[in-house]
Amino acid sequence: MRDDFVLTTCPFCGCGCSFYLTVVNGCAVSVESCFTDRVSQGKLCIKGRHAQEFIHSPERLQTPLIRRNGELAEASWDEALDFVSQGLKRIKQTFSADAIGLLSSAKCTNEENYLMMRLARAVIGTNNVDHCARLCHASTVAGLAAAFGSGAMTNSIPEVADAECILITGSNTVEQHPLIGSRVLTAKERGATLIVVDPRETPLSAQADLFLRPRPGTDVTWINGFMNVIIKEGLHNAAFIKERTEGFEDLAKTVAAYDPARVESTTGVPAAQLIQAARAYAGAKSAMILYAMGITQHSTGTDNVKSIANLAMLTGNIGRPHSGVNPLRGQNNVQGACDMGALPNVYSGYQPVADALARARFEKAWGCELPTKPGLTVVEMTNAAAAGQLHALYVMGENPVLSDPDINHVHEALKKLDLLVVQDIFLTETAKLADVVLPGACFAEKEGTFTNTDRTVLRVRKAVEPPGQARADWRVLCEVAQRLGGDGFSYNDVADIMAEIARVTPSYGGISYERLDRGETLSWPCPNPNSPGTAILHKERFTRGLGRFHAIEYRAPAEEPDDQFPLILTTGRSMFHFHTGTMTRRISLLNHEEPTGYVEVNPEDAHHLSLADGEKVEVKSRRGSIEIATLVTKRVPQGTVFIPFHFAECAANALTNSALDPDSKIPELKVCAVSIAKRSAK
Amino acid sequence: MDSNLDNKTVGSVLVIGGGIGGIQASLDLADSGYRVYLLESLPAIGGVMPTLDKTFPTNDCSMCILAPKLVEAGRHPNIELLTYSDFESIEGEAGHFSVRVRRKPRYVDPEKCTGCALCTKVDVPDLSRVVEHDGELWVERIAIDEAKCVQCGDCARACVKENSNAPAMSSIYDRQSNGLLPLPELEKARSAVEMRNVREMSKEERLGYWCYQMSKCMKCYGCRDICPVFVESECRMEDWAKPGLLPPDAPLYHLARAYYIAQRCTHCGFCEETCPSSLPLRALVDLIRHEDADDLFAFVPGLSEEQLQRIHASFPVRVRQEEPA
Repeated sequence: MRDDFVLTTCPFCGCGCSFYLTVVNGCAVSVESCFTDRVSQGKLCIKGRHAQEFIHSPERLQTPLIRRNGELAEASWDEALDFVSQGLKRIKQTFSADAIGLLSSAKCTNEENYLMMRLARAVIGTNNVDHCARLCHASTVAGLAAAFGSGAMTNSIPEVADAECILITGSNTVEQHPLIGSRVLTAKERGATLIVVDPRETPLSAQADLFLRPRPGTDVTWINGFMNVIIKEGLHNAAFIKERTEGFEDLAKTVAAYDPARVESTTGVPAAQLIQAARAYAGAKSAMILYAMGITQHSTGTDNVKSIANLAMLTGNIGRPHSGVNPLRGQNNVQGACDMGALPNVYSGYQPVADALARARFEKAWGCELPTKPGLTVVEMTNAAAAGQLHALYVMGENPVLSDPDINHVHEALKKLDLLVVQDIFLTETAKLADVVLPGACFAEKEGTFTNTDRTVLRVRKAVEPPGQARADWRVLCEVAQRLGGDGFSYNDVADIMAEIARVTPSYGGISYERLDRGETLSWPCPNPNSPGTAILHKERFTRGLGRFHAIEYRAPAEEPDDQFPLILTTGRSMFHFHTGTMTRRISLLNHEEPTGYVEVNPEDAHHLSLADGEKVEVKSRRGSIEIATLVTKRVPQGTVFIPFHFAECAANALTNSALDPDSKIPELKVCAVSIAKRSAK
Repeated sequence: MDSNLDNKTVGSVLVIGGGIGGIQASLDLADSGYRVYLLESLPAIGGVMPTLDKTFPTNDCSMCILAPKLVEAGRHPNIELLTYSDFESIEGEAGHFSVRVRRKPRYVDPEKCTGCALCTKVDVPDLSRVVEHDGELWVERIAIDEAKCVQCGDCARACVKENSNAPAMSSIYDRQSNGLLPLPELEKARSAVEMRNVREMSKEERLGYWCYQMSKCMKCYGCRDICPVFVESECRMEDWAKPGLLPPDAPLYHLARAYYIAQRCTHCGFCEETCPSSLPLRALVDLIRHEDADDLFAFVPGLSEEQLQRIHASFPVRVRQEEPA
């Protein structure tokens, strides 16, 4: 018997907890907490504690598959890789490089995202590379980049525990980022004021000092209302505004119209509560804002984020410990995938493709010419495929058939493609449509790094061998690139790739495997090998120089309830599952807790529609309908229903609206109009 | 022996020295019907044997031989342990001796002390932290090194059992806690303070306190997964809580675990340290070991539906799922 403990990083949310995988005879048997880890401190959530269970699932993909006569059949690696490279070459010749799209993955390592980005740009010659950050924090990246110059969490996770005031909005922190939620609870016990602004009750709203419940989609209004109160009562930080920011006059003029009475009529938040919360936030010595999908997944997502940035700058809560604007990233490496430039408009380290200097730098590093036009985003790729403009899609570790809005449309679009390549660890709903399926390796089977939500680069270490013929994703990407004639894809190991990333990416300049394996905590920007990393951004000056206030007016959501579809549907995750459930639905304890989906309905609405708890109903929107069991609960306000989007058999995204935010192209997953009807029989 | 033997003798024996020889002698005597006083100058019986790895000639593990005898001697109704005590003087004659024994000050009442070791978890200045005493065996019960004690009284405040004869205690060496202390962010003194606080609350306050604490639970099953003495096949915590419910049914979910491990809990404290919500789980186990559930939670498991209802009603909010209206 051989056994081992391998320190690695959790594959679920963006907290970035490290834990030990216990390996016995080449099999990962359990997860043990690591008490010296900076984020987890030996604490873990239900998903992390049982993360070993899906690794050795019998359903794991073990060999490449090629579609022959309409059926996916086993094939050798050579056959599959030749099929992929020939297919991509053919489409590039027949149409153009821009007829090919690539979806990278927030589940894969930084190195793999970098390679995917390089494959798209240097080898295929298109900027059509994107990943699921488009569906979660695209508006954060756009909004905070406009306001501060850098679109990431400004402070670090451990600081949360000592904040004096915490404003949480659109984030179910305890359920979705349990180890950050844990620190919020600690802060509360140490005397912090906790303000939760959310249409839906969450475990933290039960502990909150102030719980405000605005109507979904009215975030700009209540944030403007906050600022209105703060300016009117003189609670703003005039010195900070004068020295560090610009555009304050316009903002003051705009928010003057959002008095608490107007806010109350638009959002339904009582004026007295709003004033009390604004005073608590502005009056605290250090106030942190935590937010997530509830702010970003709107057709006004970028506006929402800019408003949050306004609020923080107005009170000078930025660039100091225990303060800042803190978007909580939903996936283990969604921050890293963005940093690595798996986005259609930027290279790694957010260097714009439209910038000739940046492009020249990458052309020199890679020794080839690069496309100049920014590429298509996730939803745009689907639309282009449906319109017959995109002919091939290479999907690594994503499941757009379940995660994207309006999935019936996605399904149709993917069927129209000439070539769909899916590289994944399970035969996902998307992989079932593919022409070629390449078996990849999960987090426990490869070396690499993840970047967590507070910009810290964390090591992922190989504990076990991939099943069957499956290979580490970075090796597959190198093979594909070499077959397409790409030079410079002969890396010995992932440390080589990280060295290249550090060479071309200023903010990762000082990050190396040597330093990480020494146990250093490195948060970017870390420009050189002597830099200790940066825990708090925008300390002396903003990345863009002066912080910019944006005067924002409220815009209503793209779809509002009417007679035919009288209820607002909002979607989200639950404590017990993760995203499309590819991993978590193969973990028995999680399935015991939550075997399938449900629609949360307020008791008043249930009474009105005469629905019983647990009854099967049909939920319908303009785009589709699903059959699902009800859950009657006061957790959702009257007029709003909630469906978790993990479950393929009752997929919330069959209903959601793919209306896009104009700046960041993020779809409005949080608000759409639906109706609920009893099912006659059954 | 003279003919008056029967009138003069008492049926008790003093054994001096609580090593393996003394323990075996005491057990044999006690089993024969004698009342035995076992005198030992150190704070605990056991002597040199536990410091040995193997024994001659069979290479048996010495603790494997000694441990059952220690327990038996400790629990035998006919043996009274006089630990941390010295022999002073002896009078009388064979069959009827009278012995003076000097008991050294322990500052804790061994009858009351549960060995919870909370008093050792309070912060002690580094200067006075003892690492090891030569040849001294430290098991279960607590003693104080008077030379090092700074009389700060923190340990007395931490004590669950409110030792009446505890004027001041400190500078306590406890091997188990040493292993856990060096990590800076672990809230080391928490349990002690928390338990003390709970004991000072009224019944109603206790109910509110536990409802608040348990409402923070994230249902990660970490307290179960990390526990060294929890056997999943014997007690399925999943069966004690409604699936998908968050926070889980209070207090049954937590009490099921606490009662199940109460008698075998090793006080390692990992349940509390691994809890993402920082629930005082160790304190919970310690408390239910010594106190009635009714005193602790105003709740008797399995007895009163009405009380259960009351607890559920006072629970701040049922977040994940609710009973149908």
